[in-house]
Amino acid sequence: MSCKRFKVLLSAYVDQEIGKDEEEELLEHLKICSGCTRELEYLKDIKRIFLLKEKKEPEEFFETRLLERIKDRRKQLLLEAYLPVFKKSIFVVLIFLLLIAGFLNYKKFFYPRPTEVISDLLINGQVEENFEGEVLAIYYGSAR
Amino acid sequence: MAEDFELVGKFKKGDQHAFELLVRKHKMAVFNTIYSIMGNTQEADDIAQEVFLKVFTKAGSFRGESSFSTWLYRIVVNSCLDELKKRKNKIISYETEFSEGEKLKLKDVLATREGDIIEDLRKKELQDIIQKAMDSLPEKDRIILTLKEIEGLSYNEISQIMKISLGKVKIWLFRARQKLKEKLSFLYPEE
Repeated sequence: MSCKRFKVLLSAYVDQEIGKDEEEELLEHLKICSGCTRELEYLKDIKRIFLLKEKKEPEEFFETRLLERIKDRRKQLLLEAYLPVFKKSIFVVLIFLLLIAGFLNYKKFFYPRPTEVISDLLINGQVEENFEGEVLAIYYGSAR
Repeated sequence: MAEDFELVGKFKKGDQHAFELLVRKHKMAVFNTIYSIMGNTQEADDIAQEVFLKVFTKAGSFRGESSFSTWLYRIVVNSCLDELKKRKNKIISYETEFSEGEKLKLKDVLATREGDIIEDLRKKELQDIIQKAMDSLPEKDRIILTLKEIEGLSYNEISQIMKISLGKVKIWLFRARQKLKEKLSFLYPEE
């Protein structure tokens, strides 16, 4: 087995994550290999260095700040849940209003105004002057 | 572990106090893991808050197939990776120069025998040196070393958290330690 393979095993050895057979083989190798013995010393040093690393505390009022954040997120989630429904409702109402407006005003789009028709007839001399009043009375009477 | 399952179960049923107990229990581990990976206390605090916020909103998806802490560490690691991705556009230098003073302090600490008391001041100074060495490593190495050396997790737990095989855990840890050795080469001049 090459030294590189033993060095990988050494890394697992210091973590106590090595099988019995591999451990025995490794310990035998360490007796004759100064390079791997030095590697083991290094790995132990690294472990010691990290063991000296102290645990740090999060900033003050961690839980309180977190609970506030959760409250805000809840509001946001509620808004996100209801906003599409609200948008859809607005759209439906708008369509409905447009339909109503169209229904109420369709005559203006499809038929010429009676006053315009009468003016044309008067200009062309096709009707008498009191005709306008009669026609309007009939038109509005029937429209009602 | 059983206690965690119990607390998660209670929280799922709407007991917010159970959630608060989970936070109190795991906040130190979560914060220190993030700090070790990100190297900044302010950022670590912010990400830790986000992690617990995710726990709060995603607790329903925890089915208990792994331990709660494994599930939590997975959220921690993914949150750190997301944050590191945002930094992608920034220029990151893995070059680290230790000052002569820092080198001496590290040598001094290693020269003391195991079990010897190291004064608080020296310990404090050492923290920055260790973090500096960690910051100089690529993110993958920082994560795996943090999980092993800082949090003391087993290879099995690391493989579940990082979603890699046990063989890969072994190799990745070996490589991360080799890279760290290169950064600390002043301690091993003869090699």
